[in-house]
Order: sequence, then structure tokens, then C-alpha cells
Amino acid sequence: MSKRMPKLVWLMPVLSIMSATPAFADGAIKQTKGDFEDKFRQLEEVLPTPNVYRNAAGEPGHQYWQQQVDYDIDVTLDEEKRRIDASEEIVYHNNAPDTLKYLWIQLDQNKFRDDSMSALTTTFGGIGNRGPATSAASGSSPAKLSMGAIRRQQFVDDNELGYQIKKVTDGRGKPLHYVIVGTLMRVDLAEPLKPGKKTELNIDFGYNIVEEDAVSARSGYEHFPDDEREGGNDIFLLAQWFPRLAAYTDYEAWTNKEFIGRGEFTLEFGDYEVSMTVPADHIVSSTGVLQNPRDVLTSEQRDRLEEAEDADRPVFIVTPEEALENEKEGTSDTKTWHFKADNVRDFAWASSRKFMWDAKGVKQGGPQKHVMAMSFWPKEGGDLWKKYSTESIVHTLEVYNRFTFNYPYPTAQSVNGPVGGMEYPMITFNGPRTELQDDGSRTYSLAEKRFLIGVVIHEVGHTYFPMIVNSDERQWTWMDEGLNSFLDGVAGREWDPDIPWGVEPRDVTGYMKSQTQVPIMTQSDSVLRLGPNAYTKPAVALNILRETILGRELFDFAFKEYAQRWMFKRPTPSDFFRTMEEASGVDLDWFWRGWFYTTDHVDISLDKVYKLRLDTEDPDIDYARERQFEKDKPMSLTVERNQEEGRKLWVERFPDITDFYDENDQFTVTNKERNKYQSWLKKLEPWERKAFERAIEEDKNYYVMEFSNVGGLVMPIILEMTFADGSKEMLRIPAEIWRRTPKAVSKLVVTDKDKELVSVTVDPRWETADVDVENNHYPRQIIPSRIEAYKSSSTKTGARRDIMQDIKTELKTDDEDEDGEKKEGDDN
Amino acid sequence: MQAGLYALLFFVACGQAVAHQQKIAITTVLFNPRTENIEIMHRFNLHDAEHAVKALFKKTADILDDKETQTQFARYVANRFVLFNAQNDSLPLNLVGFEVEGKHFWVYQETAQPPALQGLQIRHDALRDLWPEQVNTINVEGNGDLKTLTFTDSVELLEVHF
Repeated sequence: MSKRMPKLVWLMPVLSIMSATPAFADGAIKQTKGDFEDKFRQLEEVLPTPNVYRNAAGEPGHQYWQQQVDYDIDVTLDEEKRRIDASEEIVYHNNAPDTLKYLWIQLDQNKFRDDSMSALTTTFGGIGNRGPATSAASGSSPAKLSMGAIRRQQFVDDNELGYQIKKVTDGRGKPLHYVIVGTLMRVDLAEPLKPGKKTELNIDFGYNIVEEDAVSARSGYEHFPDDEREGGNDIFLLAQWFPRLAAYTDYEAWTNKEFIGRGEFTLEFGDYEVSMTVPADHIVSSTGVLQNPRDVLTSEQRDRLEEAEDADRPVFIVTPEEALENEKEGTSDTKTWHFKADNVRDFAWASSRKFMWDAKGVKQGGPQKHVMAMSFWPKEGGDLWKKYSTESIVHTLEVYNRFTFNYPYPTAQSVNGPVGGMEYPMITFNGPRTELQDDGSRTYSLAEKRFLIGVVIHEVGHTYFPMIVNSDERQWTWMDEGLNSFLDGVAGREWDPDIPWGVEPRDVTGYMKSQTQVPIMTQSDSVLRLGPNAYTKPAVALNILRETILGRELFDFAFKEYAQRWMFKRPTPSDFFRTMEEASGVDLDWFWRGWFYTTDHVDISLDKVYKLRLDTEDPDIDYARERQFEKDKPMSLTVERNQEEGRKLWVERFPDITDFYDENDQFTVTNKERNKYQSWLKKLEPWERKAFERAIEEDKNYYVMEFSNVGGLVMPIILEMTFADGSKEMLRIPAEIWRRTPKAVSKLVVTDKDKELVSVTVDPRWETADVDVENNHYPRQIIPSRIEAYKSSSTKTGARRDIMQDIKTELKTDDEDEDGEKKEGDDN
Repeated sequence: MQAGLYALLFFVACGQAVAHQQKIAITTVLFNPRTENIEIMHRFNLHDAEHAVKALFKKTADILDDKETQTQFARYVANRFVLFNAQNDSLPLNLVGFEVEGKHFWVYQETAQPPALQGLQIRHDALRDLWPEQVNTINVEGNGDLKTLTFTDSVELLEVHF
């Protein structure tokens, strides 16, 4: 949809074109008569055919394989030039059944080149770019260029960005032919690499580090010009910093899709040895375990690290005072930090003289029985980091371990820098900070506190998904972001349920009913609104699966099974769908189809409820009932008005002329009916008679409820029935009720004689993401809009907000949650 | 093409691997048959609003706890949201109020429904003058089928027909 026309955008024609195109084609099998849509159609032709690498259960197949890539890298950080130069030795193990003539290598830094696909396809005022935005001319208003965009442009002009590849050779130093294709490089091997063999590769490279604030990357440097040291200081976050092998997979072969910016990474596991040479006064945080503490840490720091191993609360390795002193001046000396990491899919690090550092050991079940949780932050992180960063890491491990597997790595770190939140194995970059006040103190708001705890949980949670359960981020953002958002919500609620963490089904209704929704199963770079699509909606879907459809026991078992099956392996969406279904024993194809493959939303309407009563067939009872039924009808207006006019009736005027029918009405029972009833009874089989008599005796209430599916997404129908005696009952009808008539269903509900139904509510706890709650009530209720509710609660309680404010003012704390005042009604 | 400059603010653009500062808002424009008003309900993420008020007003502005900041932010939003009728006249909107609910900040506006409205033009610049990457989505409901308008990139004015 072009929005850069120099005139108003007329929405309706565009939308009608869009809706004429099916959201996805189902392929060969089509319903070509009538309008029946099989919402429960099995995903047969939608999911890939199971094979020896990925079986029908969603497990790694009996010939599952994946490549292994080991790296040995020596890198030097040039602080003045803000540049790194490095040489890497790569050992590539070909575990595939295929012979490889060339290797594809990811050169992510090339995204920042001004001739990259990312740069060239960034539209003016365009969609989906991660960097500072611009806006084109529209109507009468001039085009706008934000200062951020200008800053980016100038930075790109002034700095040569992207990799300088200085040398590519084989293990013996013989140059190899290579071709750079955007953010990728094909290296042609001297000899084809046979299955089961390995090859060595050496690459010398360097690049100028981007300024994160200028270009909006996932790493880079941040400059602190106001520090006491002349020229200020920097924090360096290094990620996507070395040429990394693209993944070679059984489902896509080389995953050599250009890095445009949104779809993140697809990587191989391997072992890393990395030596970083940095200014001698820097502190380095890195994926892996430090191998040479004697060379880079003081004996006091080493003692503190040892003390932290089994401390109850985090112990400072570098104290705030020491960090503050350290950042006052620099040095021209260097030190080399040596880290080692086994079985990781990536490697990132951070370096600065500004870092303070704390640590706390976590004990857990094996095989990795001890984990060091550590945080690194500058003075700008302040008390917020001191109190909550490392503790948040520890909490994350506790909760995620329960849902998946024991954290398998020896360290888990949180580093403060210019990146808002980004994840790598054993190390995460998190942005929240304190504010410097005029009196020199540093404070933080409640929102910033929630942000810190939330972002640390989320990013450390990514160590599980996708750093260990190694899904393909470039194709399917939801596989790590959706699963992780679901679990970070669980972890958040176990931290403090009063803080509004996580995702409630009601949070996503505004997105799901909008016309800008795209299916979750959409490649990352094509998604229109990534947040609600890849984070919120899949997280809500999993929440619903857990709390509403499968229940915790089945869900938790299946989810854990998925995590354990694919730990250190590479799952695809079908592996997740199949495992959840296979391990829970519940057919979920309709759920995946509805939530992940379509843009339907949930809106179930209860249109009508009516009552039936069983005939006794006994004429003496049934005829009397019918007579009463006739009597209960309102009197004819004509008859009533005739009476009012005092009109004398013929039968009143001539009472002497009467006959049998004046005494007996049409409901009079004769022996003819009684005989017929007796002979009917005799013809009943004994079991029929027994059932009939019991039903007559119990005289239950029979209610028929009619539902329509306005939103199109089939879901369980959850009913709360309120009875005349004030009691309530829940009834949960599985989604399968919609299988033959997906647009409308009716349901018979039988209740005891004394349970007379007065009202019914669909989804009373708002657990299904039903977008319209007004049609959830029978009889209909007026659901006030948010504004109506807001107005009425304001008038009822007078100066409601002032009272809350006063209470808070007295407390003088920012630990209080602003809650209460939950509104009924529209749940946008 | 004429080029004007704006937004003299350097805002730290955060990485997006986490849903924290999402820079998205969702607004319902509801034709309410009971009140015969057009009701406008803006939902901002509290964390977006938290950062916005610090950038817009002052460093100590506190959207969670300070009623003055909340009022100021509500006014800011109200000033940047305009409904025009087919004759290009803007409809007078009344600022009903605002509230914090969970992780959201809500701002409410309304106007009496003008008779026989053929369509609406909507302008929704809130936070888009602060962060060009802000996306404001509007669902127009209660007058025929739901219609969605998305204010993103350079879009400044969108139109719905009834």
C-alpha cells in the first residue's frame, strides 16, 4: 500500500482489493461447492512432509544432523579509532549428507554500508526500517527529515562502514576465491568438502564500529562526552562482529537470505576461543568463561569473584567507587582477555573503563551445577542496576529452568550500554538507566524499574530461545520472540503479580480486529507490525493454550518436551506444532491454523437462548398445560376494547341456547386420548419406558443456546450460567463444536428442575481474546464504553483520582503500583 | 520537494529485540449509539508515555504519579488528534479525561455526532512529532464495518467513508 502519494490516501478501494485476495492459498485441495470452510482441516499439506531429519512427532529424526563451526579469534580494539581488527581461524565440520563446494559466510556489518540492500531499500518515510525515520511530503505539508536521520546520514558519510576483508585462506594459508554478495560472502573451497569431513578457513578482517545512537544497530559504541577524562569515555558493545558461517540446514540448505535489518540470525553451534586486546583499564564482559584472570584481574578482584560464587546477594568485583575512579583517566597500555565458550551459536562481548561489575553464584541441578550471574554497568545505571540486574538474571534462570531444562552455560550476564535490549549466548545488552538530577543524585521511575527487570528477564530468557533452542530468527521471529514473551510474562508474574507484566488475551484484541493484522506465519522482514504480530499475539496464543485449551498439566509437559527435544538443535515451526500436539495428545491443528496461519479474530456471539419442556404424553397433564399456555397469552386487543365499550356478546344475550362445546373446550381430554396414551406406553420397550418415566419425574429444564462466530476464529465456548436461585455454573465446550458449522452452532443445555436459567455470559474471565464482549451476554447487557465507564466511575467516587494522588503523595515511594480502577467494558 | 526540518530531539533509539518502548499506540474511534457521541479512546503504552513526557515537558515529568504531567500529556495528545468532516471542518472534541490502567495510559475524547456524516478525515500526530517511528493505529467502529487506519511513515491524514 503506497502511502507516499502526494494526496490523501483513500483507504476503502485499497482495502477492498486486499480482501479479494486470499490470505494464503491452501494448495491443491479446495472446497468448490457451497461455502463450507473446514476450520479443523488437518495441516497435512501445510506442514512439510516428515522425514528422517524431522519426524512426524516433531522430534529430530533418526538421521538428524547439523553442522558444527568452531572459531579461534584474536581481536584488537582500537579505542581511539573505534575500530576492531581481527583474525579468525574457522574449523567447519560438515555433518550434512551433502558435499559442499562452497561456504556462505554472514557479513552483518555490511548492512551499514551505504550501498547495502538495507540502505538502498529504505524508503523515504518508509516502513520497517529500524533506524531514525523520515517522512515524505503529504498533502500540503512539506517533507520532513528528522535530526536523527540527518545524524545517521552524516555518520555514514564520515565513517567507512562495513567489513574490510583483508585475507581469506585455507588452513595452510593458501588464498581462497571469494565473492561478497551484500551481507554475505561465498568462499569457494579448494576441494569439495565431503560428508563427515572438516575444513579450515582463515579470515583477517576489520571494521569501524558504528555509533549505536546514530545508526540504531544491535551493537556499537556509546560516547560519554561529559566524563571527567579528557575526551570522555565510551562503552563498546561488540556483536555481529566477526564473519560467521551461515547455517546449512536440512530444510533450507544455505540460509543465505540477505540481512535487511529486521529478521535476525540463523547460526550454527560451535566452540569458541577468543582473545580480546583492549586498553588495560577496560573491563570486559563476554560470552564464555575468562581463561586468564591472573593476567587481567587484580588479586582482590579474583578474591571477590571467589566470594561471589556462593554469596546470598551479589558481590562487587569492581565497586562503584573503583569504576568512578577508573573512568577519570585512560591508558595507552593494553591487556588481552581470553575467553572460551563451548557449544554456543554466537559470541558477543562488551568493553569499557566505565564498568562496575557484580556477581552472584546460582546453584542448580546438573549438568551445569553452578552458574555465575553477573552484571556490568556504568555510573549511569546506578542503584537501579545494583539492586535489580543480577537478581533478575537469577530469577529468570529459576523460572525458565522449570519450564525447559537447566541452564547449560557457566555464566549469565547483563550489560548496560546504548542498546535497549538484545540477546546473545550468556550475555545480554540492556538499556534502562537512572536519571541525573540537578542535585547530583540519580533517581529512577517505577516505569524504569519495571523496564529493567522486564528487559533483563526477556533478554536472559532468549538464552533459552533461540540461543539454545536454536530456531531460525530470520524466517520466523515469533519462534523465539513469541515463546520468550510468553515465558517472560510467566516469570514476571512470579516476581510481582501487581506489576502489569506479560500479555493478557485482552491486550491483543485491538490488533486482532484491525485490518492491518498479518498471519503470524509471515517472514520477519514482511511483517507489517512486528510487535503485536511476533511478540504479543503468539504469546497470547500460548497463554490461551496453557490456561484455557490444554490446561497447565498438558501444556507444561508438552512445552518442556519441545524445549528438551530441540535443546542445542534447530527446530522449525512444524516441529513446535507437532510436538505440542503429539505430547499433549490433543488435536491442535485448528488452533495453529486459526491463530498462526490466518488473520481471523475471536468474536463469539450468544444470539439466543430458548427453553424447551418435555411433553409427558399423558393427556390429562399435557392438555391442561396447553390450556394454561393458551390462557397465558395476552388478551386480544379487540376483545378487550369490546369489553371496555360494554359491548354485549351474543352468548351473553342468549344464555338459553348452549350445547356441549360451551362446557368443554378444545383441551378437554376424552377416553380416546387416554386409551391412546395407554397403548403408546405399552408399545415402549422396557428401557424406553424407564427412561421416559425418569425424565417425566425429573422434569428438567431444556435450554437451547444459539451461537454465531462473528470473528471467524474457532475457539472453545466458555459459558457462565446464572440461575434464579443466584447460583452459577461454568460450562466449557471444546472448540470442536464448530467443526461442521463454523459460522453458527446451537447447544442443548439440560439443568435440574430447580435450576432455572436467568442469564448466560460467554467467556466471563476474558480468557479467549474475544474482541466484542457486548454480544457475550444473554439477555443482552449494555456494556458501557470505556468513556462511559470512566465518566460514571468519576462521578460515583467524586475526586477519585485526587484521593489516589493524595495517598501516593504521603507514601513518597515509587514502589506502589498504580492499579485498581479496572474498567469493565471495551477491552482495547 | 520542499524539505523542512523538525524534531530537534536526539532520542536514544533502542534495539527492538524486546517489547519495551514499542512506540505504538492504538485508538478506538467509536460511534456510540447510546450516547450518540463519537468517542475517542487512545491507548498508549505506559513506557512510551513515560519517556515521551520526559522529552516533551521536563526531565522530572512522571506520568505514573504526577497528575499535572498526566493532564499535560492528555492535552498534548488532544492537541494532535483532529477529526474533520467532509467539508474539511474540524469537529470540536471535548477532552473527557485520562487514566492509568495496568501497563497502559488512556486518553479519552468525545464529540456529539454531527448528523449524516459521510466520512471522516483523521489526523493523529501524537508522539509522531517526537519519534518519527511512532505508529498510531485507529480502529473506527460502530458505523458499518470496522475500518483500520494506520498512521506510519509519512502518513498525516487518513480518510474513512461510511
